[in-house]
Amino acid sequence: MSDYSLNKTDIAKEKEKGVLVTAFKRLIPLMKEEGNSVIFALAAIFVSSAATLVVPIIIGHIVDVYLQGKNFHGVLMFSILLTAVYIVGLISSYIQVKVMGGVGRRLLFNLRNKIFEKLQALPVAFFNQNKEGDIISRINNDTDKLNQFFSQAFMQFISNIVLIVGTGIFLLAINIHLGGVALIPAVIVLVVTQFLTPWVKRTSLKSLRTLGSMSGEISESINNFKVIVAFNRLDYFRDKFRESNEVNYKASISAGIASNVFTPLYTLAGILGQIGVLAYGIYLISVGHFTVGLLISFLLYVNNFYNPLRQLASVWPSLQLALAGLDRISEILTLESNIKILSPEEVNVPIISSSTSTILEFKNVYFRYGEGKEILKNINFKLEKGKTYAFVGPTGGGKTTTASLMARLYDPAQGEIYLESKDIRLYSGEERAKKIGFILQEPFLFTGTVYENIIYGNKEHAGFSHEELTEVLEKANLTKLLDRFSEGLDTRIHPGGDAISLGQKQLIAFIRAVLRNPDILILDEATANIDTVTEQLLEEILRKLPVNTTRVIIAHRLNTIENADEIFFVNGGEVTLAGDMQHAVDMLLHGKRQS
Amino acid sequence: MDTKKEKQNQPGLFGLLKPYKLLLFILIAVTIVGNGFNLIVPKIIANAIDTYMKGSFVVSRLIIEFSIVAVLVFIFTYLQNIVQVYVSEKVARDLRNELTAKISIQEYSYIERITPAKLLTNLTSDVDAIKTFVSTAIASIISSVFLIIGAAVLLLLINFRLALCVLAIVPIIAVTFFYVLSKVRKLFLESQKAIDWLNKVISESILGSGIIRLLNSKDIEYNKFLVASTEAKRISLNILALFASLIPVITFFTNLATLVIVVLGGHFVIQGTMTLGNFTAFNSYLAILIFPILIIGFMTNVIASARASYGRIGEVLYVSKEKKNGTLASTLRGDIEVKDVTVLFGEKAALRDVSFRVLAGSKTAIIGPTAAGKTQMLYLLTGLLYPTKGEIIIDGKNINEYDKESLHSQIGFVFQDSILFNLSLRENIAFSNLAKDAYLEKAISTAELQDFIDTLPEKLDTVVSERGTSLSGGQKQRIMLARALALNPKILLLDDFTSRVDNQTEAKILDNITKNYPDLTLISVTQKIQSIEHYNQIVLLMEGEVLAKGTHEELLKSSPEYVQIYDSQKSMNQYE
Repeated sequence: MSDYSLNKTDIAKEKEKGVLVTAFKRLIPLMKEEGNSVIFALAAIFVSSAATLVVPIIIGHIVDVYLQGKNFHGVLMFSILLTAVYIVGLISSYIQVKVMGGVGRRLLFNLRNKIFEKLQALPVAFFNQNKEGDIISRINNDTDKLNQFFSQAFMQFISNIVLIVGTGIFLLAINIHLGGVALIPAVIVLVVTQFLTPWVKRTSLKSLRTLGSMSGEISESINNFKVIVAFNRLDYFRDKFRESNEVNYKASISAGIASNVFTPLYTLAGILGQIGVLAYGIYLISVGHFTVGLLISFLLYVNNFYNPLRQLASVWPSLQLALAGLDRISEILTLESNIKILSPEEVNVPIISSSTSTILEFKNVYFRYGEGKEILKNINFKLEKGKTYAFVGPTGGGKTTTASLMARLYDPAQGEIYLESKDIRLYSGEERAKKIGFILQEPFLFTGTVYENIIYGNKEHAGFSHEELTEVLEKANLTKLLDRFSEGLDTRIHPGGDAISLGQKQLIAFIRAVLRNPDILILDEATANIDTVTEQLLEEILRKLPVNTTRVIIAHRLNTIENADEIFFVNGGEVTLAGDMQHAVDMLLHGKRQS
Repeated sequence: MDTKKEKQNQPGLFGLLKPYKLLLFILIAVTIVGNGFNLIVPKIIANAIDTYMKGSFVVSRLIIEFSIVAVLVFIFTYLQNIVQVYVSEKVARDLRNELTAKISIQEYSYIERITPAKLLTNLTSDVDAIKTFVSTAIASIISSVFLIIGAAVLLLLINFRLALCVLAIVPIIAVTFFYVLSKVRKLFLESQKAIDWLNKVISESILGSGIIRLLNSKDIEYNKFLVASTEAKRISLNILALFASLIPVITFFTNLATLVIVVLGGHFVIQGTMTLGNFTAFNSYLAILIFPILIIGFMTNVIASARASYGRIGEVLYVSKEKKNGTLASTLRGDIEVKDVTVLFGEKAALRDVSFRVLAGSKTAIIGPTAAGKTQMLYLLTGLLYPTKGEIIIDGKNINEYDKESLHSQIGFVFQDSILFNLSLRENIAFSNLAKDAYLEKAISTAELQDFIDTLPEKLDTVVSERGTSLSGGQKQRIMLARALALNPKILLLDDFTSRVDNQTEAKILDNITKNYPDLTLISVTQKIQSIEHYNQIVLLMEGEVLAKGTHEELLKSSPEYVQIYDSQKSMNQYE
């Protein structure tokens, strides 16, 4: 079984490439589908940047020719030109924001959907290996960071880069020497940035991690509050939290100090640029190589250059965070499910010749969780259509694991499982779900009503009205079970609280599974918390299932299995046929426990 | 609940900052000084141009002056940022600690009412909103106000008439901006709701990963997500549409101000009433003036969301609910009386007029169908839940008269669901601080855990994970029992303890309990009659009411419901 742990990444593996390079590498593939919009937006960005860039030249010209030449009429004429430029800027920047912003938001939309799709494609093992609280916080936090970036910073990011490049070109074009002087601080500051980036990235990644483990801590404690209260361990909750809060506090401060270095640095560079331009510019004017008007426009350009640069710096942390989030998310996106649907060529023994009455067969099956010890050793058995099988044995013997393999929640480490004489790995998820019904030990219910939970995932009865569904339930003898719910099908369900009992949850899971009418129905201790009267009702329902339905009942209580056609005894990773009830009882009473 | 009254005790958002007065003062000082230096820059440039025009320009003086300012701006801006981070993280940390301290003294029923999910939000995103407020809003607003006033004053000083014309544009910008912003704010609220919705779908899809894979219902989940995701996109595109028009319009108005400077200022320069240097400075100050207006606008959003978050936090932080804690801390004998107890959840009664007595050292079973109120009954006996009506009396005293800690340390509770903490097995079992080593050993052997522990690589020091997936249901439940027994309790409450433990082990364990804890008062919620036949008393609960109570034999004679349950289980007796 592959390793799905998300917390093993070492920071050292991060390659030291420029952030911009990484950013574009990450972002450009995402933008592929947005080709036309991006081009359109870029055109608008160019026009609006050009409009911004022309202004200082015009003003410089006005100063040089008309102000110093004392010609107010010229000032007015050029003011009209200026107004025209401003209007062009207005229109083009509207288009730019609208189109580019749209691109960012759609990117986010697609990315979110991709993550969710991947989450759905990953096997159960992934969720078992990572803390659920941690996965939830990771996904919610990281997509939130991406959200902030794409809906706010992304646009600024693009247009600022265009503006910076354009201004740079203008500066050098007007006067290459003075332009050089203006840009030197920028070059220095970019080099410094290169050095600082790994530091910023490292600290912000660390602070994100500590945040994740802190919320894991909180949810563990708060969700188990009753134990904490009953055992007087409020101090545990407080102290454990205080500890991770402190760790997070320190990590956040380091991250804050690191990521806040850029704004002051870029402000400094801007002022240094102005000093250089002013000093050197006045010198050039004094030797007759430059004019006052040009110096004024030059100073405006320096502002035009350094202001976006500073803005870029202020967007930088959010870019860093977004990239860190993107990294953590792509960690998930690169995980591949090892539960794949195989094609017939990929299967060792394509078809086995077992009788058509066999529905499920285990052949030399071995299993272990990750690198753990072997849970199942060389398991072989066949299940016939329409029969009832019981899997009994002490706790910890491997019953639930066997059942999970039947439903392909995991794949065996070795050996094959055949469903109707075909390797179970050949079935699509839909076919498999249709054939196999499984009621889990700890059923999960979705927020909603009993009705919604009962028809959840049920294609056949989707969209049935309450009356229609009641009719179907009646036919399947399930209506009596609904009496246990104060408002029947309309009873509200909030999975978090204690308002609904474990027994009630098991009832809903039971109805949900039976209603789907599977070929094999697996009950994994599914009625452990249901009272015995209701349980008899369930047994009756099970008896009345269609003749071809195979029932697999996992239990340690013998009374639940008295109707079984065959009994398997599961213990110490082995599954043995117990023959009759008495034999099973003997084994259960005298068998060596390995739990 | 009277939330209004409760909330009166809560100081405002700014009141929250009182304990950080000194740090905030430093922050404000550093911010003002840093921005003050920033304001000087255009003036230095203007002077340089003017002195050059007059012919009295000294380049070294310019460079020295300017460089000093540059370095000071750098130092103070960075200092401001560091102080900001420091204060905001400190506020966040302290607030989180305060919150958890407050939560940790609450009753269990309170946590259930508020719901864990909400508390989690309080501790994470709500605190984050306040953190953002402290880290960005305070310094931004101070520096913005300072810059606006400073730049305006300087403009007025340089040229009064021109300044008035330029400043006339400022209100236009401010009004447009705040108008659009108020519209955006409404959308922001919607957007937050959409994101909450998204997060809920994600959470459920993770918690329900097992059933989703079994039912192959990933398409359903994906469609649920897509609906929420599309809604989030729709709202954010609406926000974008507003911003797309807002920013260019504001830029345009600013440009019009530039135009005024060029035309009118140009006129003054030609007239000779204004220097060229000051003409340049005017343009620079205009840029300084506009930006802070936008900042203030954005910050009002930050403040609004922080205020909302603080309101939610305040509901937890400033509840004036008195804890029902008594002072009695005597050693319990174990006599329990439940007297006419009714528990209402809203209008629904979980328990109605329940009465029964349990003698010290006796064994009582509570049986009944699903949703009969059995678990709630046990919660009442530990003070995890309070009766709406009636009394719980332990050793002749109302349960509320007892000190909670003392009570909890003498009552062992084995919950129905297995809850393991991310700790070693030892720490999980000796979870209570009162669990002594001697108790621990006895508890482990009573729960029949020794064999299992011996198979673990690090024995008792093996760390078990959050959901204990590597352990079987039965193993987890026995660990829960050991945890309760490690208290060496006077009263033991078992909630459906045997549902996941096999019969053989169960019998052994119950035997062990009788042997090792002879004086224990045992109350056991169970489904199985067979293991409780010999109990001193059996209470049959149904729909929250006591249908019958007595010994097994008595109930067989008197209660048809009991007989029905008994018959439904009888079939197994021949095997066991």
